[in-house]
Amino acid sequence: MAAVLPVGSDLSGAMNRFLKTILEKDIVDAVLMPMKVPSGDSFAWIIMSDSSIVDDAEAMAPVMPVQGARALRSLTRKGEGSIRVLALMRPCEIRAAIELSKLGQVKTENLILAAYDCPGAVPMDSFVSDPSSGEDLFRKMLAGEDVSAGEVKPSCTSCVEFSMTDADLHFGHFGLGGTEVLLIPGSPKGMEILEALELPADRETSIWDEAVRKRREKQVASRDAAFEETGENIRGVQGMLNVFADCISCRNCRAACPICYCRLCHFESETAKQDPNSRLDSAVTRGGISLPADRMLFHTGRMTHMSLSCVSCGQCSDACPADIPVAQVFSFVADRTQKAFEYSAGRNDGDPLPLRSFMKSELSGIHEMVSDAEPGGHAHE
Amino acid sequence: MNSIVMKQDASTAIRELLAYLLSSGRVDAVLTMRQVPETGSCDLGLITDPSGMVEAEPFLPVMTANAGQALSSISMSGKRIAAVLKPCELRGFTERVKREQGSFDNLLTISSICGGVFPLEKVISGDLEKLVPRYIEKTARAEAPRGLRETCKACEEFVPMNADISVSVTEHGSLMHLHSDRAEEYTEGFEGERIEARADQSHIDRMMKSRSAAKGKLFQSLEKSSGLDGLVDLFGKCVGCHGCSRVCPICYCQHCDFESINFDYNQPYFQESLEARGALRLPPDTILFQLGRLTHMSFSCVGCGMCSDVCPVSIPVAGIFKKTGERTAGLFDYVPGRDSEEPIPVMVFKEEELGDIG
Amino acid sequence: MSETGTGKTEMTARVGVYLCECGPNIAGKIDLDKVMADILSESDRYRNVELVIRRYGFLCSGPGKQYLEDEIKENGLTHLVVAACSPRDHDSTFMEVCSRTDLNPYLYRIVNIREQCSWVITDPEEATERAATYIRGSISRVLRQSSLFEKPLEINPDAVVIGGGAAGMEAALALSSDLRRVFLVEKSASLGGGCGITMPQEKAVIEDPNVDIYLETQMSSVIGFLGNFEIGLKSADGKDEEITAGAIILAIGSDYSDPQESGRISFSESDEVHILAEAERTLEAAGDLKLRDGTMPETIAVVHCVGREEQGYCSGVCCSSSLKLAAAIRRLSPETAVTSVYRDLCLPGADGENVLRMARESGVELIRTKGTSLSGMELDLEKMDGTSEKRSFDMIIPAAAIVPAADTVSLAEMLRIPLDEHGFFKEAHRMTDPAGTTTEGVFIAGTAHGPMSVMSSMRFARACAGQVLTRLVPGERIVPEVKVTEILEAYCTGCGNCLDVCVYGAIYADTDRGISVVNEAVCRGCGNCFASCPSGALRTRHFTNEQIFREVDEALR
Repeated sequence: MAAVLPVGSDLSGAMNRFLKTILEKDIVDAVLMPMKVPSGDSFAWIIMSDSSIVDDAEAMAPVMPVQGARALRSLTRKGEGSIRVLALMRPCEIRAAIELSKLGQVKTENLILAAYDCPGAVPMDSFVSDPSSGEDLFRKMLAGEDVSAGEVKPSCTSCVEFSMTDADLHFGHFGLGGTEVLLIPGSPKGMEILEALELPADRETSIWDEAVRKRREKQVASRDAAFEETGENIRGVQGMLNVFADCISCRNCRAACPICYCRLCHFESETAKQDPNSRLDSAVTRGGISLPADRMLFHTGRMTHMSLSCVSCGQCSDACPADIPVAQVFSFVADRTQKAFEYSAGRNDGDPLPLRSFMKSELSGIHEMVSDAEPGGHAHE
Repeated sequence: MNSIVMKQDASTAIRELLAYLLSSGRVDAVLTMRQVPETGSCDLGLITDPSGMVEAEPFLPVMTANAGQALSSISMSGKRIAAVLKPCELRGFTERVKREQGSFDNLLTISSICGGVFPLEKVISGDLEKLVPRYIEKTARAEAPRGLRETCKACEEFVPMNADISVSVTEHGSLMHLHSDRAEEYTEGFEGERIEARADQSHIDRMMKSRSAAKGKLFQSLEKSSGLDGLVDLFGKCVGCHGCSRVCPICYCQHCDFESINFDYNQPYFQESLEARGALRLPPDTILFQLGRLTHMSFSCVGCGMCSDVCPVSIPVAGIFKKTGERTAGLFDYVPGRDSEEPIPVMVFKEEELGDIG
Repeated sequence: MSETGTGKTEMTARVGVYLCECGPNIAGKIDLDKVMADILSESDRYRNVELVIRRYGFLCSGPGKQYLEDEIKENGLTHLVVAACSPRDHDSTFMEVCSRTDLNPYLYRIVNIREQCSWVITDPEEATERAATYIRGSISRVLRQSSLFEKPLEINPDAVVIGGGAAGMEAALALSSDLRRVFLVEKSASLGGGCGITMPQEKAVIEDPNVDIYLETQMSSVIGFLGNFEIGLKSADGKDEEITAGAIILAIGSDYSDPQESGRISFSESDEVHILAEAERTLEAAGDLKLRDGTMPETIAVVHCVGREEQGYCSGVCCSSSLKLAAAIRRLSPETAVTSVYRDLCLPGADGENVLRMARESGVELIRTKGTSLSGMELDLEKMDGTSEKRSFDMIIPAAAIVPAADTVSLAEMLRIPLDEHGFFKEAHRMTDPAGTTTEGVFIAGTAHGPMSVMSSMRFARACAGQVLTRLVPGERIVPEVKVTEILEAYCTGCGNCLDVCVYGAIYADTDRGISVVNEAVCRGCGNCFASCPSGALRTRHFTNEQIFREVDEALR
């Protein structure tokens, strides 16, 4: 059951007004939303306590320059806060924030997480080079019109978690013809907001449910196809090496990833720096090495560290200057590793982080999974 | 000075020299660009096996990583290394040596009069095959190839500073100039006609003309980015990935101050700021990082352009840093990489400086 | 010291490498001269290092240790590598030699070229090469080790006893003295535990000035180790208190299984079914065993082995108690027919034999069955000959199995000690350390350990006391581990990975600074946390990545 918000002409505007209202009515002390930057070709996360500024913000931005969970982390990680903040973000940003809360990086006590049905995002580089086309494209995506898959951010075409999450409040608008949007409470906190606004949650949601279900079906098919292709591409050591051949070790992928929370990445630390003599010895042994060194070690290491919390948001690919399909690879691996532990990243269901909890029964499970798996890497001859 | 005539194209000749240096035991390893023929992907190679020279492309107009940065740690191994560096990479390395991050002790540096490099996207798109032959043609005639990095087009420091060996390729021929005793020593026994010759000055003059013009245009276009408003406009879409810093040859800090706990704020701080200002950008300190990095390294900026290449939102970082760098370095009559004994301005104090700045 | 042109100074390290011949054990297989020559030939690999390499007969002998001590002093060694036997044999021997000199014992490394080399590699050439490899690796490692300084702590000789039953009280009395306090912590409102009779120790414990009794109190938190525990206590009315002690004795007793758990036993509240312990208490208190309506039952059945199959073990003491009770009822009320129904009889020793004789002589009917079911007040006996007999009784007394007390799980978690397969506290080692646990300083006494008699409980209590008396001598000092882990605030983001995996509870969260912090007094340097940190914000002293990686690099060269 959900409450209803009339939309009028503009879905985004309706959501803006909603946020402005709850700020004006003191239901929250501040809201966190995207706002267009002065140069007009990108968006930034702005937290505002002054409700008049909400008019300048945009509830749903066409691009995702900074993963929302990063903004939440910078705001809440350290110390105790007392202001109530409502953050309106994409489902993948909410899921990343939930993972970060399990990792002690986001504190949710005074946070109200709100999300909306996400049609996907425009890739950063195409938006920056032509913002007005990017806005047009996003408008079409929101309206449910057909767009060419090549124009959309690649990870969005494989996204199956584009709707309800464990956020406190969700704006459901798919399949409703653009005239109204459902306000679906996901928690007591969300219910409280509706009650404070005297919005009764009395509308049933079957039309919306159906629209979401249909879309998920398509997305699942698309994702499975993408996974199959990716699986083939990265098969074996040579496969992985080929996919990452153009990597220049800039670490943009790590910087963009919401889950990578380390202040000093292990792979930049003293540990990872090899003694110059040893480095030269490796070069002698192998006849030659690439510099910067340990490129694949970084990627497989990063995978080991964050795969179980990966929410497939695709920021890594967006940030890569070498056009490497990082997100496709990491998403594929994350799907497998999370399944191995029966863990679903981004859920608030009480499941502890697999790497930090130990259950004796796990050992047998993994053993079977490994021996049942397809044969691993045979380097292509 | 003593120069060796290169009968073949420069790349082949230098490949031969590098192979000679390795097989004669003069050096233990060679640092050079290389390209995998099958896939076309390029990277920097530290090669110890002479047979690996077949993949070497010493003058490939590509910079996947600043070689001066990559050279730092291994130059301190005590092993002898020959490194092929572009002029800006060599200058960048010199700046790093001044900061105890590298050593010239066992290094033979090989550079060339540089025609510039292509941005990364051209490497990724696979257009190199077409672009390189045309590049070689044009640069031999001191003409500027199309589609280079912005900072390469505008670079006036294309003649190597302090290289042991520098290569010039002009219409008058290809020459390996031996600038130092080490260069003479290491090339002893290497086959090639020796003549007394310098690089063709008129070629250099023609290049300088087009470079200076381009630099003027570049700096002009960046005028609008001065002042706080200009900076906000320019860096407004910065996402704080710090990729620019990571690929910069001068940014040597293992743990950047702006990523440290010094810039890690607690909730009360944000609340106070919000109260005072009504709205805040999260994560904060976007412009602060840029200004901070400018403060920390601009006077050593060698204008290599790696930063712009790596920026995910296409901010023209390199131009800004180069422009600012020239001004800040100029305050101290400093040219980064000009002289490895020249101290870094902010690390020395001269009493009479104060008067100038005041 | 040598100076470089830039005005920096670099220390020259003087590394002493001593190869022990160990008689024929090492020198008989490994060509030590060749090892020394090989290492010396490459000594220019090490920058600013001077190597002193020697061989010696038996370094662990008196003269050998003296030789080493003299060598360290005369050569002004800054680092020491001893190539000899297993660290388990003599690591501490040579550390002790170092401590007699100016050389910090943590700037030394022992390399095993015996158990891991000469004793297991048959080909002498291979063994010689391997020895050189190990030694080279260790030289590389030792050069990266840092001085560490031990800080002895005075131990806390006091003890905390959790549980005020027979075992707990016995332990308390055995330990308390003017030099040692005992804190006796009891969950319920009275001492005595599950005995059913007032134990004679109760008075002594209450009157002992060196025993502090906490009733209606439980242990809520523990950190620390042998000689140095910080314990949180919580009373029933919510008050918190912190005490410190050097040892913890768990004497929380046990529970009885629910007879109806077995599925073959079912009765309702109104039925006259009373478990053995209850019946014993009633008999002692009232002097007889009447039915609810006040009359004496005409027939009583005592059912042994209830819950034995389900639990998977024999509780060992109930047959004796059951037959004693049966005999006692017969003596008190000869008109009451008492039947003991059992599957097997567990009556060890002379005492056991006596009990059986008493039961028989007093006219207890003994029936052996293959299995027994109860429905209401009717027993269904599956006799040994295969026939089945249904009999009703006025009162039925099941002897239920002894099972772990309810608090066992939470205490085990708090103290990080394992439970055995039946859920009782697990001892450190069945034969060599039955009173201790895997957590040093924590001991178990009584049925918290498993089913046992009161006498055995008290013996165990004395065993625990013995351990504490010998290991926590008032006035003595212990040296906490120095090879502990530290968290670098600069790199820590407070994610809590390390906290979750620390089995010693040595890490806590500082929410103000948003980081995790190691309590170095509690840390045992196991390195779990180090492995769990993705940032590398943790450093385990004496086991840094730098030390280990460079050792491996060198060995694999």
